[in-house]
Amino acid sequence: MANAQSLRRGMKEIARVMAENRQYLIELDQRNGDGDLGISMSDGYAAAALALDSTEEKDLGKLMLAAGKAFNEAAPSSLGTITSLGMMGMAKALKGLEEMDAAQLAQAFTQGVERIMERAGSKPGEKTILDALDPAAAALRNHAAEGLLPALQAAQVAAAQGAENTANMRAVHGRAAYYGDQTLGLIDGGAEVGRLIFEALVAAASEG
Amino acid sequence: MKKVLNRPENFVDEMMDGIIAAYGDRVQLLNGDKRVLLSKYPAPEGKVGIVTAGGSGHLPVFLGYVGDGLLDGCAVGNVFASPSAQKMADMIKACDRGRGVLCLYGNYGGDNMNFDMACETVEMEDDIQTKTVRVKDDVASAPPENKDKRRGVAGMVYAFKVAGAAAKEGRDLAGVAAAAQKALDHTRTMGVAMSPCIVPEVGKPTFSIGENEIEIGMGIHGEPGIEVREMMTADAIADLLLDKVFADMPVEKGGKVSVMVNGLGATPKEELLIVYRRIAQVLSEKGITPMMPHVGEFATSMEMAGLSVTVMHLDEELEALMRAPATSPFYTNENI
Repeated sequence: MANAQSLRRGMKEIARVMAENRQYLIELDQRNGDGDLGISMSDGYAAAALALDSTEEKDLGKLMLAAGKAFNEAAPSSLGTITSLGMMGMAKALKGLEEMDAAQLAQAFTQGVERIMERAGSKPGEKTILDALDPAAAALRNHAAEGLLPALQAAQVAAAQGAENTANMRAVHGRAAYYGDQTLGLIDGGAEVGRLIFEALVAAASEG
Repeated sequence: MKKVLNRPENFVDEMMDGIIAAYGDRVQLLNGDKRVLLSKYPAPEGKVGIVTAGGSGHLPVFLGYVGDGLLDGCAVGNVFASPSAQKMADMIKACDRGRGVLCLYGNYGGDNMNFDMACETVEMEDDIQTKTVRVKDDVASAPPENKDKRRGVAGMVYAFKVAGAAAKEGRDLAGVAAAAQKALDHTRTMGVAMSPCIVPEVGKPTFSIGENEIEIGMGIHGEPGIEVREMMTADAIADLLLDKVFADMPVEKGGKVSVMVNGLGATPKEELLIVYRRIAQVLSEKGITPMMPHVGEFATSMEMAGLSVTVMHLDEELEALMRAPATSPFYTNENI
């Protein structure tokens, strides 16, 4: 079971991984975006981790809501806002829970991903973070019965595969969309962020 | 590249300090927040609020249109980045006089999602009614069949002006939103760029334009345009931009228009006037009457060289709303 402490540990690890990959994400984004991806992701997750650390709250939903708001305040870029929308979607699913098992995490994560699709008006296959997050959500659901760590590990594999697949896609959203075919062959920066999230979560869950 | 700066990370804060130092008698910060500017001009009781938001780096857009007969509030983010949903929500609350607030802003992903979140928050927490109208005037950014994907550029100034006049007349929220939408349905913009701009925190141009080249349809954040051509004369630029606008929005012989020739930051007013001169010639040949010319800098992109041409096709209602007095520290139609 995961609780508020696990959530804090997971968020802190994501923040660490994003800070570590800041320059890598900036360079990835500069090829067909404005290069702020590394900045917004490291700032956003640092703020979310800080928000979780500065409260005694145990309700997982309220914690995710606080994380989402802090993230948006620190990083209101396109992907930053998408991330906070996802966190707020998860918050709704987790409201009232102080502990969650793998199935509940899978359910919450799926709702977060659905909220992003609805609000951003996008779907998998369009060379975005969703191409990593959506297969990860499916893997979480499919492997929930095996327990938290195995489910997260399956999601990590799915997210990495999904990120890699974006190299074969054409961008249709944001600035990258103007480059159309020129985006073929490049991995999407947002999808890489999705891969890094699960890399961090597996690392955090393995420690705990 | 030389830029007049202290520290790049203080760019927006210090610009905001400057606005308050210069114009603090007419505009103010919301509770000292250097990301939210509110009007201090007297407004009629129960006037519908109008707000906008967007990234910094485009003055007079967006902050410059907070004023009388224009906007009630504006939230800004870092250069070319949306402000947060919370700042937008705080601004909407501050601008509601009980009859609701129109959110009128450019069609960009970050701004759209943050405004949606903000509207949801104020509706839930404070019972404030909001309506959203997104500016999508940039003809270059998507073909007619994908109109909904177009970006908002200089045409938003006309929408601010028309909506502001409608609100001051006492129209209700639906009426103000309808006026803004009508203004936009009658407005198209097309631009060209000749040199890139520099985001202070990045410190170098994020794209380049060749020495003897001009990029047709480039966006105000350096989004790629529709084609790169060899540099051309002012008249050729005027003809090209006007052709693209009229191809998308035909104006009949005998029609009336207001034309904005907008400098993107590094193009002198002399050159803008040379372009306006040609546009006036072409309009006269077509039997179209230009009125209320807007020639100058209305929506910029830092130090980008280039210009955009916006045409608003006027009818009686739009003409009257355009003529209603409006004043802000950055804009007035008194001498237009």
